[in-house]
Amino acid sequence: MKRLLFTVLTVLIGAGIVAGSVWLLMDRQAAPATLKAKIVGTAATPQGNLPHATLDLSIYPQSSASVPGPDTGVNAVIDKFGWPFYWPSTSLELPAHSLVTITVHQYDGASTVWNPYFAKVHGTVGGTASFNGKTKTEIDPANVAHTFTIHQYPQSTQPYFFVSVPMLAVADNAKNEANGYPKAEVMEFSFITGAPGDYIWNCEDPCGSGYVDFGAVMSERGWMSGTVTVV
Amino acid sequence: MSLTAVIHEQPAVPQPRQHGKPGGFLHRANVFTGLIGGIGLAVITYAVGSKLVPWGTQDADFQQVGLNALIFATLSAWVIGFMIGIGAFAGPIRWMLGHDLTHEDAEYMAGKGQGHMKYWKYTTDHKVVGMQYLIMALVLFALGGFFAMLIRTELGVTWKEVFDPNFYNSLIGTHGIVMIIAMIIVVAGPLGNFIMPLMIGARDMAFPRLNALSFWLLFAAVPPLAANLLLGGIRDGWTVYQPLGTQAPIGMLGYQVCIITFAFSTGIAGVNLITTIVTMRARGMTWNRVPIFVIGTLAAAIMGLVWFPMFQYSQILAASDRIIDTSFFIPQGGGSVWLYENLFWLLGHPEVYVIVIPVTGALLELMTVFLRKPLFSYKMAIAGFAGVVGISAVVWVHHMYMTGFAPSAGYPFMLSTELISIPFGFLVLVMLGTIWRGKVWTRLPMMAVYAMIWCKIVGGITGVYLSDVPVDQYMHGSMFVVAHFHFMLMGAGLFGAMGAIVYWFPKMTGRMFDERIGSIGFWTAFFAFQLTFMSMFVAGLQGMPRRVLQFDNAFNISNWVSTIGAYLIGAGMLIFLYAMITSWRHGKPATSNPWGAKTLDWQTQTPVPLENFPILPVVTSDPYGYGVPDPYLKVEEELARDDNETVGAR
Amino acid sequence: MSIDSQTPIDEPEVPTNRPEPTHRMKEWLSRPYVRRILLIFVILNIVIVPIAWLVVHFMELSGGPASSIMVELEKTVFVFTIVSAPLMAITASILIYSLLGWGRVTGEEPPMQESPAIRTNGIAVVAWVSATSLLATFLVIWGLMELATITSYAYGSTPANQQPNATKAIDVNVTGQQWLWTFEYPDQGKIESDVLVVPINTPLYFNVTSKDVVHNFWIVELGVKIDANPGAITNTGVTPDKLGTFNIRCAELCGLHHAYMETKIEVVTQDQFDSWLREQGGKRTI
Repeated sequence: MKRLLFTVLTVLIGAGIVAGSVWLLMDRQAAPATLKAKIVGTAATPQGNLPHATLDLSIYPQSSASVPGPDTGVNAVIDKFGWPFYWPSTSLELPAHSLVTITVHQYDGASTVWNPYFAKVHGTVGGTASFNGKTKTEIDPANVAHTFTIHQYPQSTQPYFFVSVPMLAVADNAKNEANGYPKAEVMEFSFITGAPGDYIWNCEDPCGSGYVDFGAVMSERGWMSGTVTVV
Repeated sequence: MSLTAVIHEQPAVPQPRQHGKPGGFLHRANVFTGLIGGIGLAVITYAVGSKLVPWGTQDADFQQVGLNALIFATLSAWVIGFMIGIGAFAGPIRWMLGHDLTHEDAEYMAGKGQGHMKYWKYTTDHKVVGMQYLIMALVLFALGGFFAMLIRTELGVTWKEVFDPNFYNSLIGTHGIVMIIAMIIVVAGPLGNFIMPLMIGARDMAFPRLNALSFWLLFAAVPPLAANLLLGGIRDGWTVYQPLGTQAPIGMLGYQVCIITFAFSTGIAGVNLITTIVTMRARGMTWNRVPIFVIGTLAAAIMGLVWFPMFQYSQILAASDRIIDTSFFIPQGGGSVWLYENLFWLLGHPEVYVIVIPVTGALLELMTVFLRKPLFSYKMAIAGFAGVVGISAVVWVHHMYMTGFAPSAGYPFMLSTELISIPFGFLVLVMLGTIWRGKVWTRLPMMAVYAMIWCKIVGGITGVYLSDVPVDQYMHGSMFVVAHFHFMLMGAGLFGAMGAIVYWFPKMTGRMFDERIGSIGFWTAFFAFQLTFMSMFVAGLQGMPRRVLQFDNAFNISNWVSTIGAYLIGAGMLIFLYAMITSWRHGKPATSNPWGAKTLDWQTQTPVPLENFPILPVVTSDPYGYGVPDPYLKVEEELARDDNETVGAR
Repeated sequence: MSIDSQTPIDEPEVPTNRPEPTHRMKEWLSRPYVRRILLIFVILNIVIVPIAWLVVHFMELSGGPASSIMVELEKTVFVFTIVSAPLMAITASILIYSLLGWGRVTGEEPPMQESPAIRTNGIAVVAWVSATSLLATFLVIWGLMELATITSYAYGSTPANQQPNATKAIDVNVTGQQWLWTFEYPDQGKIESDVLVVPINTPLYFNVTSKDVVHNFWIVELGVKIDANPGAITNTGVTPDKLGTFNIRCAELCGLHHAYMETKIEVVTQDQFDSWLREQGGKRTI
């Protein structure tokens, strides 16, 4: 009887270790605070009048005093090579059945995109985006700094969702301004969200290091990739 | 107990003159000096190396390459420093300086008069090495099982990511390689080292110091592997296909150092096992009287010795791609991803048989004891082993049907792969034939035989599916494959190994295994295993790819079932482990031959003395002389008489 | 080694004066345990064989089969399950009967030796080896023929290393990249898409490659699967024959977002396909 009790105890200890580890590992890898799109009114779209939401993002080439980046905790160790990142968050939340306008301030230099497909604009309203105020459908693949590419979650029950916009690069010799970064390139694009669902976004431009420059920053969550939740 | 042995008066062998005094570093080295040596050399290497790498003068890419070289050197320094610290090179260095190991040194190294300390030293006695392997395997199973629980937690929580995707990818890779290493050593290590020399009537292995070397190399290989999770993980599955492996962070180097070291360990162990079996059998143990477990170990050792270098080489080349910018596997530099896949699977497939064959041998051995029957068709068992060893050399491409590297290769490799089911069928026949009409002594080891045959049949049949190119075109890379190889490796391999360990537990520890609690654990794990992986077959058939952490809702139910099953497996395994540890400490003391077995390992006393046998035995028959004459033969004779009478009457 | 046998026995004694084979067969079949095992065997077969339908049902849950290749794959899985059933049933019935029928011994002490000392049985060995060999041969031949069949479905009537001669075939350049699939229609004005839109009953010919690591291009319901390798182009093909939306997945671990490297294939009518092409700015060349 005593032995049976100890047996049960062994199992409980094992379960405790597993549960504790799951909790610990979850906690350590918590995603950054969710950034919600602000609803600013309604807009006329090809699909009728829809709520209009906006979201502002920035891309910085590396962290600095004014922009700490995802550079906290364990991340501080791996970020010692100066990784670019999306800011203020990579966990985005968008309203369902709305027109969403995203404005990106981009401060990073160029790296040629492997696949010219991602130098083009896909999935936005009209298939275009505004690059520093000029409306275009594509930009020079050699002048792409990053891309913002939302794509499907492996869930056949939710609507298909694909948006990809290239981010124009700042010139290599651009002078830094007071905040320590050069003058930003501004991209603005709008797309229409469907029913609620979970999606993923990442950069498709080789801005990391290692094999085909897709290692390091490209393969870590929180810098060049994240989640999009449509609610 | 009357051994049919002839005792010869042993004349005193004249000893050569010995140079040098006994003692020295050999007597002081142990695992702690090893740790000091390993960590010390690693720290020195890192400190010196980081001065040599021109940090900051190059672009980020160069820093990555420099960092890789530095970490590789550091991890290698750990292995070398550990081996120096534990005294692995003390003997050879003494030779080089013109000193012999004295007889006292040799006995000291064999662990004479050292109590429990001998398990922490570079001990050459095969029994000590066997126990060290057993503990190592248990530690690795605990680690791998823990990873499995985390993986199933992620897959059971279908509505969100529990872990970071990178961490999850590292988990599946680390779980895979830890379990593979554990499965490779769990039978060939403890039983191959402890039991096999007893079984053939030898005093030790052929090369006792290589034996210690093989174990401590394995010991040194594990920390770099475990360190990978701290260095960014391997993110690539246990196969670490290139060039994705090149993209991974420095954790990959932990994997590579581990595999390169582990391959040395298996190579050394393989040479040792083969030499021992071929040259050190007792007098009279002709090849047709060798116990079948010994043949199984021999088969596994041959396969490991031949094929492990392929795996080792693939990792050396992959490491050089990272460290010195070669392009063996980088297409942009003229390399080939298919080269890696071929090198990897040249070992990758025979390795499955390296795991399953010794388990099969061990169970064939113990079946005869629990059924009190001779082994059915010993020759078919030999033919089965030989066939598997032979054909395993030419089946590796079935892992690469869908890579497109040679579409026409599908035809010959489908043929060879399906042919291997015929020698495997021989082994099933031997098992079924031995069970046939036997009265079962229902002890836990025998129950493991039933569990193993069932899993082997399920794994074998699904293996035939996967060997078929058209079916593989659907199944490849899906959960179906995962379920299949778990049936083979865990179902047939691990449950079989559990039975074998329970069977030899009394000989190894001197105590009886607590079968009451052990059985609860064993059967909980076994039935939960069916639940987990049968349901995983369903997910695979539905089209769920493997190594994903989020998936379509369509796969939810089978994943929930799998996760519940996996938790139950975990509980069962813990119960079994508890039974093992408590029986080890407080179990009922065992007699020298509690099962009444006829192989030589049970004929010596328990605990086994230092040189195993007071007098080396002489073998006069094979060890399967169980049973009574077949009663049905009488019936047949009567029938025959009746026939003759009938004919006569006509 | 042998504790109690006085005469060393390495080989079984061959009984002399055995009766006629037919009589022996009859006698063997009349043994109670043989009959019971055969009964269990038959029952188990009845239980196991329906799994073949279940297996195919699971494969069709997501909407397939949508091509003749997938039909062949399902047929092969079905046949293999049926053929394997007796093997599984005979093994299981012997295991079950041995636990129930031939007697059990419990207890701490080694049991008396009561089991028959059957060293081997020529008939059983020959029967088993021929049965398993026949089975394996059948499976090999079936597999080889099926492989030839699906290869011909995949490539039209031309061998793998040549362009298909079917003029109507549509070439699609499939590019895998961490962690997206993109498709290009080289003969339809080089239009590009993130979703594979194809007309029904038209042969498709895929040139699959990767920009970075190894991916695996898997159209689940169409039974298409081929690795996307960097630095090489692999080919395969299929003719979809069912309208609908099906899954494309990556079946080779490719890094961070491997689990999310999914897209869909839309099999539409020729008219819908043409209007989709016009919408994308492509042109119809066929």
